[in-house]
Amino acid sequence: MKHRFVRFIAAGGLALVATVTAIAPSASASSSLTKVRFAYDFPWPDMELIPVIVAQKEGFFKDHGLKVSIVFPPTTSTTVQMLATKDAEVAMLSTSDLVVAVKAKVPVVSIANYSMKNNWGLFAMPGSKLSLATLKGKKVFSWGDTWTTAMLPFVLKKAGLTAKDITVVNGEADTPLLKSGKVDFVTNTTNYAIPGIGGKPVQIVGKTAGVPAVPVWVYATGSSYAKKHGKTVSAFMAAMKDATQWSIDNQGKAVRYFDKAFPQSGYTHAYNVQAWKLTVPLLKNKSGDFFVQTKTQWSTLAQAMVDVKQIDKAEKPSAYFTNKFLP
Amino acid sequence: MRFRRNLLGSFLSFVVVVGVWQAIISFGHVAPYVAPTPLDAWRSIVENWSHLWPLTLTTVKETVFGFGAGAALGMGLGVLLSKRRFVQRVIYPILILSQAIPIIALAPPLVLVLGFGLTPKVVIVAWIVFFPVTVSVLDGLANVDRDLLMLARAYGASPWRTFLAIEVPSASASLFSGLKIGATYAVTGAIIGELAASSGSSLAMFQHAQSAQLDAAGVYGTTLIMTAVGMGWFSLVALVEFFTTPWKRRSIARRAGRHI
Repeated sequence: MKHRFVRFIAAGGLALVATVTAIAPSASASSSLTKVRFAYDFPWPDMELIPVIVAQKEGFFKDHGLKVSIVFPPTTSTTVQMLATKDAEVAMLSTSDLVVAVKAKVPVVSIANYSMKNNWGLFAMPGSKLSLATLKGKKVFSWGDTWTTAMLPFVLKKAGLTAKDITVVNGEADTPLLKSGKVDFVTNTTNYAIPGIGGKPVQIVGKTAGVPAVPVWVYATGSSYAKKHGKTVSAFMAAMKDATQWSIDNQGKAVRYFDKAFPQSGYTHAYNVQAWKLTVPLLKNKSGDFFVQTKTQWSTLAQAMVDVKQIDKAEKPSAYFTNKFLP
Repeated sequence: MRFRRNLLGSFLSFVVVVGVWQAIISFGHVAPYVAPTPLDAWRSIVENWSHLWPLTLTTVKETVFGFGAGAALGMGLGVLLSKRRFVQRVIYPILILSQAIPIIALAPPLVLVLGFGLTPKVVIVAWIVFFPVTVSVLDGLANVDRDLLMLARAYGASPWRTFLAIEVPSASASLFSGLKIGATYAVTGAIIGELAASSGSSLAMFQHAQSAQLDAAGVYGTTLIMTAVGMGWFSLVALVEFFTTPWKRRSIARRAGRHI
């Protein structure tokens, strides 16, 4: 009995030593990585997270000495605050949210464009006869966010209308309202609206909508974090460059990574495939570069937001962005 | 005297809440874009009053109509279920089920069916209000003094007369408890309905826009107005209770007199 007990203790000890030995290298490797929390711009995951998921799964973050976790804000407008309150180190934001943040003196700065084009617009059901010319008197869904608030007046101007000529419906879900005929148009970006509505929806997008050619989303960080941890921010962007290129080259696998990471996202695999396919052409500028921001994009957007009275005055473009962390 | 004491108590609790709020902001060094001081929230209300006033009226309308519908339904159901035990056995589990459904999940489909106007908000408020009223009426009617009921029967009172003269007054304390709970939750229902979808602007969407603009003072200011609507409605129900149940005050006075 005693002999058995000693053997049991010995076996347990050996197992413990073996376990510790097995874990030790990975633990030390893991502890040498710099931890970064990435805050998404939405309270739940969707396919624009694919490059971050790929960077996690394919080890791009690890290659650049980072261990990145994703955090979700409680509301769409909380992401900026999470950077300021140090609940996240890097985030994805709409460019208009960043302009508003600068106005509110929140110490944040844009470090890269996520997308390079303005693919926002109005969408109606496939086969409908709706157009800019027939916009008067129609019901238009809006998320009530800063981007839609900034862009909608441009559409109205192009149509020769004012805000009083349409009924804006604010709410939490766009496609069900469109499909049930409760609204005539929804506002969204092509990569979300087209797969969401299905078929070939009527689109009033980009130049047709009269909106300025400015990117919709950016990566951002806290100003003090950028100053103190510049190398980490650069490493993040370097990993994102590798991951974004990989996500373009391996679209099917990239989408499957997302599906597996968030099986309960509420989006189907088919939706994610189509949505990511529509996102890919938005990621590079005309020169074929990722991420590069321009002074013009920021001054154009800030002035547009002044024009619709979202902000009092446009700051210098340097108040909004920096390209110094780009790989 | 009692009224003055209540008023003083309410004022003191208000001072404590505002004081704690100010202390958290001051000693916690909370940035203005995270949370404002009470004064900043008040200033925001004053500055935005021309926008806020019509939106507040709309929310009040949704609250009042929804509360009215919910209270009427709750009282009707309460009486029906107390008088017909078989109906109670069938309906009561359904009532509990109705309250187990998260109202946030219910709001979007209601909007799809009923549109963006007043109706879905009234339905949501009524949905929230009717249950505590039903339960309180049921409890109230179940606890009516049996001796009084038998006495009324012995004197040959009709069921309707017995209901009005004995059961309703006996159940009133319980009924008003349910109404006051419903009054407190009614504004929450209206705001959930406004958030689900509103054509044009609403108090909830105004707050959403303020939040998007990182205007914490605006967000808190709007919250204060929503709270004021809820408290105002609760106070009004309490006032109605005060005037419609004089026997409760008399019994208190008598007891107090005996004590002296």
